[in-house]
Amino acid sequence: MFVHDVPKAKTTAAVPVLPHVGLVRWHRSLIDTKALGETGASPVSNLPAREEMLAGFANLSLESHNISLTGQSSVAVEKNITLERPSIVELTCLFTTSGDPSSVRVTWRKGDELLEGDDPVSTAGGALWARYRFTIINSQQMGSYSCFFQDETEQRGTFNFKVPELHGKNKPLVTYVGDSTVLICKCQGCFPLNWTWYSSNGSAQVPLAGQTSGKYVINGTHANETRLKITQLSEEDQGAYRCRALFHLGASEDRVELVVLSYLVPLKPFLAIAAEALLLVAVILLCEMYTQKKKERPDDGKEFEQIEQLKSDDSNGIENNVPRYRKTESVGQ
Amino acid sequence: MTPKPARTPDGGWGWVVAAAAFVVNGLSYGLLRSLGLALPDIAEHFDRASQDTAWVSSLALAVQQAASPVGSALSTRWGARPVVMTGGLLTSLGFVFSAFAGSLLHLYLGLGVLAGSGWALAFAPALGTLSRYFSRRRVLAVGLALTGNGASSLLLAPALQLLLDTFGWRGALLLLGAITLHLAPCGALLRPLELPGDPSVPPSGPLAALGLGLFTRRAFSVFALGTALVGGGYFVPYVHLAPHALDLGLGGYRAALVVAAAAVADAGARLVCGWLADQGWVPLPRLLAVSGALTGLALLAVGLVPGVGREEGWGGSLLAAAGAYGLSAGSYAPLVFGVLPGLVGIAGVVQATGLVMMLMSLGGLLGPPLSGFLRDETGDFTASFVACGSLVLSGSLVYLGLPGALPSCSPASPPATPPPESGELLPVPQVALLSPGGPHSTLDTTC
Repeated sequence: MFVHDVPKAKTTAAVPVLPHVGLVRWHRSLIDTKALGETGASPVSNLPAREEMLAGFANLSLESHNISLTGQSSVAVEKNITLERPSIVELTCLFTTSGDPSSVRVTWRKGDELLEGDDPVSTAGGALWARYRFTIINSQQMGSYSCFFQDETEQRGTFNFKVPELHGKNKPLVTYVGDSTVLICKCQGCFPLNWTWYSSNGSAQVPLAGQTSGKYVINGTHANETRLKITQLSEEDQGAYRCRALFHLGASEDRVELVVLSYLVPLKPFLAIAAEALLLVAVILLCEMYTQKKKERPDDGKEFEQIEQLKSDDSNGIENNVPRYRKTESVGQ
Repeated sequence: MTPKPARTPDGGWGWVVAAAAFVVNGLSYGLLRSLGLALPDIAEHFDRASQDTAWVSSLALAVQQAASPVGSALSTRWGARPVVMTGGLLTSLGFVFSAFAGSLLHLYLGLGVLAGSGWALAFAPALGTLSRYFSRRRVLAVGLALTGNGASSLLLAPALQLLLDTFGWRGALLLLGAITLHLAPCGALLRPLELPGDPSVPPSGPLAALGLGLFTRRAFSVFALGTALVGGGYFVPYVHLAPHALDLGLGGYRAALVVAAAAVADAGARLVCGWLADQGWVPLPRLLAVSGALTGLALLAVGLVPGVGREEGWGGSLLAAAGAYGLSAGSYAPLVFGVLPGLVGIAGVVQATGLVMMLMSLGGLLGPPLSGFLRDETGDFTASFVACGSLVLSGSLVYLGLPGALPSCSPASPPATPPPESGELLPVPQVALLSPGGPHSTLDTTC
């Protein structure tokens, strides 16, 4: 068997690039197609032989996850697991009880379906280990798996399997008419099989392909991100755009909101603020000219008086020692 | 026909000029600091790395400081008022042009060159004019004006974020063009002031207008060397304090607290030191050397502070070191401008201001890249901050060569320099001589 038995660790086995469709076909060729998606146990998980064949083919990694239940907590114990590629999964529930371990009934369920299995339940002291081993190949095997311990009360531990989520910016992207923009979707540490972009007009979702007109160009430099470049923006391009990342085991989506404004929108506040600044300049300069004129007018009056005084003093001669000076006023007040 | 006043106003309209300089500082340095908020959106739009967009603000800062002598030269020829108003118009045009940018090159030209030149025309003349309006309370007034960029960061940064969310980066730049147009009313408030000692003829040619002749004075040359050295280390925390805090293991919010502590200490120190310097207890050059030395020591402390684990430590030692840096750097800033009239006389203050800005730009261009290079070589910022601290300390040592920085032990020595308001080498008419024992006298007769 290829898979290394390393507990609680993911083996770093490379998954060869299989087309998603091809894998499903391979899967179906092994088992009864009726069993897929129906109630009842997934037959693959109960047949080690098939497991080995699949594992040998696809180099599946091993995922081990544990939950400990003490028997006292009333809160349901849950564990969220992000799974990107098909794996062999081993779930272990550890139940400690004060009573007799052999009287505890152990069941496994996926959602509400009861899962059959002959996985061992081992006991040591006052503790019970229940193990469930299965393979996740496609999206139908994703979901919530729970172990139930029936003692005096029922204790439950749940493992939630999800595909990686996309986390994008929650802020809308603001652009202008005639401009071009790039919408980016990124997946942290995960590598989707492919990406698709949709634009939602109202309730309809229209997939966007890289059209020959060149308005929409989709490319991405790395496998974990995608870029949608839209050129020649117009106001109809406004709205929500969705990017969809497809994995072996499902898909996840993210949305980006695009806002397209016309240049008139910021132009009005711009003109208002600029006009206010120029008005301030005019007011300041006018005020200054006004106060200057006020100062010069009394000066003119005094000068006139002094000239009159000189004319009257001229006859005296000697007493004409009145110093003629203008009142010096500081400019600053 | 404005009559020649016998004394500097030291108040009155001077406070209006201080308010105008406050706004000029806010709309230039403060806006430049907040501009970093728009850069990530711009980088994403043009699909460039953040290092490329960081050049936009570096270029604007470099142009603003290096071209400052041009601003002061023009204002000695035509007066500060028209030059500052033109600067405001130029900056506004730069922002409007960059709002329609089709590539990063347009942003370099619009924001970096145009807006930077506009700021260069606005800042030095405004600050120089402010120095001329005050004598006894000059350093306080300058300190008050220099708190403008701190206040602007508090107000403009959230406002800019709001603009970015509502109008996108293009609309935000367009509206910033309208906001920076308010530099023009600030320029309009700079009423021309004639003081005794002003040259009666405007300078003959562009070189004379630049005031390069000031370098022939020994005191100013000493000051220039010291300032260029200090400039090499002074601006590094602007760029590298936050990354240093993050490197030491503080979380995002703790690092932001460190930066905020430095900024608040800086702003407060500008006011307090301004008030303190005006009391005249200590000669200004000595205060300058002391604050420079304290800044250097604080930078060393910031670099040598031990790292903390991400969970337990709240970075108390780094917080204290950053606060100390803020206090000392804040004390240094108004002194750099406040000491100029004592060195070059009130008539040459505007030109000297422009030259000082250019000197600091030399350091500002070399310091942060050197610091970044050291960090890349050694793995953390310790070497960077130690290097910056050493540069600042050596600059402060140079400042000790300024007249009055060291206490002289000869009480009967004749005054080394005449009172600052009349200038060093210009003839001092008797009527214009203000009180000889003024608070800014560079004499020190105590031992």
